[in-house]
Amino acid sequence: MLNLAVPETVMPVRLHSPWLGEIEWEPVSELCFPHGLPGFEDRKRLVPVEIPSQRPLIYLQSADKESVCFLTLPVLTVNPAFELRLSEDDRSLLGLDCIDLPPAVRGRASPNFGNDILCLALLVPSGRTVKTNLDAPIVVNLHTGLGIQAVAPEPRAGSFRLAQNGEWERVC
Amino acid sequence: VLRRRVGEAILVSGEVEIEVLEISRSRVKLGIRAPFKVSVVRRETLPVARENQLASDLVADLVTNQGKEGLGELVRLLQQPAAAREPAFPPDTGESAD
Repeated sequence: MLNLAVPETVMPVRLHSPWLGEIEWEPVSELCFPHGLPGFEDRKRLVPVEIPSQRPLIYLQSADKESVCFLTLPVLTVNPAFELRLSEDDRSLLGLDCIDLPPAVRGRASPNFGNDILCLALLVPSGRTVKTNLDAPIVVNLHTGLGIQAVAPEPRAGSFRLAQNGEWERVC
Repeated sequence: VLRRRVGEAILVSGEVEIEVLEISRSRVKLGIRAPFKVSVVRRETLPVARENQLASDLVADLVTNQGKEGLGELVRLLQQPAAAREPAFPPDTGESAD
């Protein structure tokens, strides 16, 4: 009888992005957004792409649809004083209260950027520059790869616009 | 206006059921059963959905319409060292304009 239990090799995923060209990634690098993003509810798989010469920009390329790609920045590059506040629902969606996580992460009211979570500001065109709404950051649980766009019920962190001198200015 | 208790529900158009699951001091937990075609979102996500549509156009605009110059200019601004940036306000030299 044949033993069919051969070691499983994980094949990299390939995609031709109109904006990034040919890209390839390991499936484990994919971020899973169970509810997509508002307006893009069907785009549940996003791949973060960083081009060293373009840091700190991070592209979020849809793995489901080649033409969908977002430009983001780590929130702290926009506002170093930014404080993330997650609702109970958002914490639950991100799996931050999951029993498999280290107890320190479960108990934290505000998880650590870089260690526990990736928090990105989505860039939106604004005239000849860009702006971003820090009341709707993209938050990813780095322990699980689960992501959401955490939309605050009321404006608090505000929106910021990139000025021609490279500074981020708060806008109404 | 409808008044409901925990465990009670309302029906919208006979196909969307909204049940009160839990009530705390300032929050209500709702359970919603709806056909797959019905989109159920929190109201505050609507403007964000519009922003996200614009956000998805940004890469195309930078790459297709403005070419490498658009993206290059954005990267240049983002990589500009803070010390080299023009201060938002002139430094206070302690001298009065009077």
